[in-house]
Amino acid sequence: MTESHDHVTCQEVVELVTDYFQGALGPDEADLFEQHINFCEGCNWYVDQMRTTVAAVGRVREEDVPPEMRDRLLAAFRDWKERK
Amino acid sequence: MIAYKFLRADGTSPFTGFRWELPSGAPGPWVDAQIEPCRSGIHALRLSDLPLWAGKTLWEIELDGDVVEQRSKLVASRGRLVRRIDAWENEVRDAYTRMCADRGHELAESVSPPLENWAAVIEPSVREGPALLGFVAARIAEEISGPETYHAERARQTAWLAERLGLEL
Repeated sequence: MTESHDHVTCQEVVELVTDYFQGALGPDEADLFEQHINFCEGCNWYVDQMRTTVAAVGRVREEDVPPEMRDRLLAAFRDWKERK
Repeated sequence: MIAYKFLRADGTSPFTGFRWELPSGAPGPWVDAQIEPCRSGIHALRLSDLPLWAGKTLWEIELDGDVVEQRSKLVASRGRLVRRIDAWENEVRDAYTRMCADRGHELAESVSPPLENWAAVIEPSVREGPALLGFVAARIAEEISGPETYHAERARQTAWLAERLGLEL
């Protein structure tokens, strides 16, 4: 799942967030996931929003993410990737 | 064993929101938790892990009980905060971020043609702080010469932190 041996991308954070909340990531994956949200403000904000959703409804699925949030986030990620 | 831990300015964990009781002249109270890496347990850092998690405030933490060593962190069944590492304050944090940014530029310009796409990422990232800039510098190194240089760059960052914070390598 990693672009190189030791980090995850913003796109992968979006894809993995439900697994992260459900404890379905292995320790190494969860470690990399948390490293990413530690330094990526956009993903940190995204995960916080998701955490709020989980607290409110007790579960989370990809379709629980408001479409405009997901679109905004993915647009930001594309921009980031293009600049890299 | 003695390890390190980054917390938010208000003493809460950036991942769990757990509010640590901060030491005031004496170590804080012991906190016990079941070890389940990334989900439960007292998560702490070796010196070499600091660049990966660089946050707002840095604390020395004493770990006890079972301790699981993972690739970039430690997870223990018991821990208590011992003291704040005061040297990790705004000025030093900004200086570290700047060092990583400058190093990123240096690396990006060290090859021909220069890595202009990476160079363009550096300055806009500075406001995000030390963890991102450390990552950017290490990733530029990796792009130039492969994964080993990523780790070499991380080791360089660790040495900078150890020297500036007065921590023993």
